[in-house]
Amino acid sequence: MTIQTHRMKFPLSENDSRTLRAGDQVVIDGEIIVTAGLPTHQRLIRCLDGLEPLPFNLLGQTLFHLGSYCQAKTSPQGIEQLDVVYINPTTSTRFNDVMPRLIGELQLHAVGGKGGLDARSVEAMKKTGCVYLSFLGGGATLHTQSIQEVLEVGWSDMLMHYRLMRLRVMGLGPVTVAMDAHGNSIYADTQENAQTRMNQIMAFMDGARQEAATKDKC
Amino acid sequence: MAISSELIKSVTAELYERSLRKIPLDAMDALVGAAQVESNETARHTLRIMIKSAEEAEKTGQFVCSDSGVPVYFIRVGTQVQFSGHVREAIAQGFDQLVSTIQPPLLPHITSHQNLERGYKGAGMPLVTFDMVDGSDCMDITCSPKALGSGRWAALEIFSFPDLRTIEKYVLDVVARAGSQPCPPVVVGVGIGGSFDYAAKLAKEATLRPIGEHHTESMVADMEKRLLAGINMMGFGPMGTGGDFTASAVHVNYAAGHGFTPVAVAFNCWINRRTRARIFNDGRVEFLE
Repeated sequence: MTIQTHRMKFPLSENDSRTLRAGDQVVIDGEIIVTAGLPTHQRLIRCLDGLEPLPFNLLGQTLFHLGSYCQAKTSPQGIEQLDVVYINPTTSTRFNDVMPRLIGELQLHAVGGKGGLDARSVEAMKKTGCVYLSFLGGGATLHTQSIQEVLEVGWSDMLMHYRLMRLRVMGLGPVTVAMDAHGNSIYADTQENAQTRMNQIMAFMDGARQEAATKDKC
Repeated sequence: MAISSELIKSVTAELYERSLRKIPLDAMDALVGAAQVESNETARHTLRIMIKSAEEAEKTGQFVCSDSGVPVYFIRVGTQVQFSGHVREAIAQGFDQLVSTIQPPLLPHITSHQNLERGYKGAGMPLVTFDMVDGSDCMDITCSPKALGSGRWAALEIFSFPDLRTIEKYVLDVVARAGSQPCPPVVVGVGIGGSFDYAAKLAKEATLRPIGEHHTESMVADMEKRLLAGINMMGFGPMGTGGDFTASAVHVNYAAGHGFTPVAVAFNCWINRRTRARIFNDGRVEFLE
């Protein structure tokens, strides 16, 4: 099977999200929102509980677990603006507890980071029409090259990589659709396969150990 | 002649900085080799992007990963070495200086468990382990900054008179628990025996051994080979999205112990962050990695 690579405009629509299949590759153009903070996610939940307003519109947007370092710079026109110096994914499983609610209530059609999300998110993604995109960990240089502009910063009172950053990107990726809107999760599949194969793997190891012991005796 | 604090300060800071912008040669070779034989198309694709990412970081002087980790140093001090000042203080000052001058700047990753606040300083930082080497006239320093992605999944369990099968099954279970999360293909370090603290140290040191270098004892080398084969039968693959290369190496170190046998397992992610230098009494500095 050949991998399908889709160049798509973000934020993804529900329809676009549902056209993607686990294993596809996506190149991202458009607007994305990123943060790497667990406190940020907890604060988003407070917003959903009506305890605080959202810093900007997140409904129907994209939320990626990417941490960034930003610096102020002055444009040639003399305008002060923020520049993303580097950006890179963080482990999404840390956010397992909050993601189903964020996906459902914020109608997120694309989320992502690295390492995946658990079965509760698979359900939420099916319902909402949402994909999980796997970014290369240790891909800071490549990811950063695609950032065009910082559009908005939410919660500047937080640590830099915890803030919500709305960014305009061009050609971010390719990233892998690791979980799709049809209930497929490469992470769940690989984990299940690993567990299913464990007896077979141990039998192989037993054989190899036996063989090595015989060899060492000679 | 003696090694000055100033020299220790600059060398330890430089080792940290180098580790952020370049992956070790053995890690690059492992990725290139894996990309040639990996059977999963997505995995081959991911491996190629990893290679490109590392090359691009080196070419442009940028960081490979945004998580610059916490500063971790392993130092082996020769018994013939003379110091002309403080050593721990010099390493701490070197890190402080790095934080204030490095471009691009580091994100604050040093975290207090008491309030989860993060910064560039904290109790016990930098994390430095010292060992003595009889007869040597140099200070051999390895820097391996530890980030969350791979640091989070290390584990240790203590068994009572375990057979090899039990030990190997535990290693597989720890790798399966880490699964897609430690940015595979990983280097797996296994420490067996000694005591609780010693096994953990053996495992950590095992992650620092260059990929492709097996234990000198054939029985241990055989165990490394079958663990690597077993782990790669699990199918997590590069970045955990499936494939043949979940690990690029398994390194086992061991010590004898009592009948209670700690088994520790530690990980390095695919960028395998590791730099190393030697400082000699006459002030000579040799960067090895």
